[in-house]
Amino acid sequence: MSNASSSPRHPQGDEVSGRGRILVVDDGITMRLYYRSVLEAAGFEVEEATNGVEGYEKALASAFDLMIVDINMPKMDGYAMLRAIRTDPALCAVPAVTISTEASERDAQQALRAGANFYLVKPVGSKELTEVALMVAGRSPR
Amino acid sequence: MVLVKQKTPGSESPGGPEVVGRDALLAALESDTASDRRSAARELAAFPETAPALCDRLAVEQSPSVRAAILMSLIRIGSPEAAGRLAEFLRSDDATLRNGAMEALQEMPDALEGHVDRLLADGDSDVRIFAVNILSAVRLRSAPAWLARVIRSDSHVNVCAAAVDGLAEIGGVEMLDDLADLRRRFAGDDFMEFAIDTASLRIRGR
Repeated sequence: MSNASSSPRHPQGDEVSGRGRILVVDDGITMRLYYRSVLEAAGFEVEEATNGVEGYEKALASAFDLMIVDINMPKMDGYAMLRAIRTDPALCAVPAVTISTEASERDAQQALRAGANFYLVKPVGSKELTEVALMVAGRSPR
Repeated sequence: MVLVKQKTPGSESPGGPEVVGRDALLAALESDTASDRRSAARELAAFPETAPALCDRLAVEQSPSVRAAILMSLIRIGSPEAAGRLAEFLRSDDATLRNGAMEALQEMPDALEGHVDRLLADGDSDVRIFAVNILSAVRLRSAPAWLARVIRSDSHVNVCAAAVDGLAEIGGVEMLDDLADLRRRFAGDDFMEFAIDTASLRIRGR
């Protein structure tokens, strides 16, 4: 469920459409609204999930070109969600970007081992997020 | 189910049957069989003094169901000592364990309260972020004031961002000035500006 109507508009550009669908999985409401604002401005359609369980269920229920996944979430963390997705034949090819506060090389390696295609460290600027989404969503098999 | 041997009259040990039962459960907590460990963990909730042993087991336990049973028992024990030991898992590299500890701490607000100052002053910014995330979800009247203190005093952008996210959920109008000050501090950071504007809008709309 989007709360986009109660959030400020992101200053970056006018909306265009048709770049693909992105599933944003993050327990922080501000983070989800920010990603939605930036990614919709870049032309993506955005769906939200608040934890790994909901994210996995939404990924199963609908096709996405990219998943943006937080690491520290209740119920199912980002690593566990990615591992579940990478072992599911229906989802294993969907590109995924993890975003975390943890900036060490060890954390990045852990995310990549779990199945992430790209690892970003918070805070992520709108330009960086858009560039990575465009680059990684382009690998989608859809 | 762990079987604790029934004692016959006159055979009690100096500590009495409760101590024998507790010690048998502590032994079963180290069993090779997960179902025995799980049962022992559940039953040890009746013995608050075993919180350190439950936490020691939690640190090495690999079975998700045993971990869940240990965490449930620690929540039921709900002592400041249990909360303090659980808080140590915020440093764990194991995200599942870390998140389990966070969720447990959210369920024991009274026991958590005495540890908040220390956690918010931790040298590791990730620990401070996790503490802020706990405060954002815990049923504590003082939680919004703690989050406001974080945005006034913490210099780390991600700690402040986590606190802003929490204030978007539980903050009051008396925190709007602190949010405005923070926006000036992080002027030019498009995420922080967005997050603060979002939180301020949500607070005003309540």
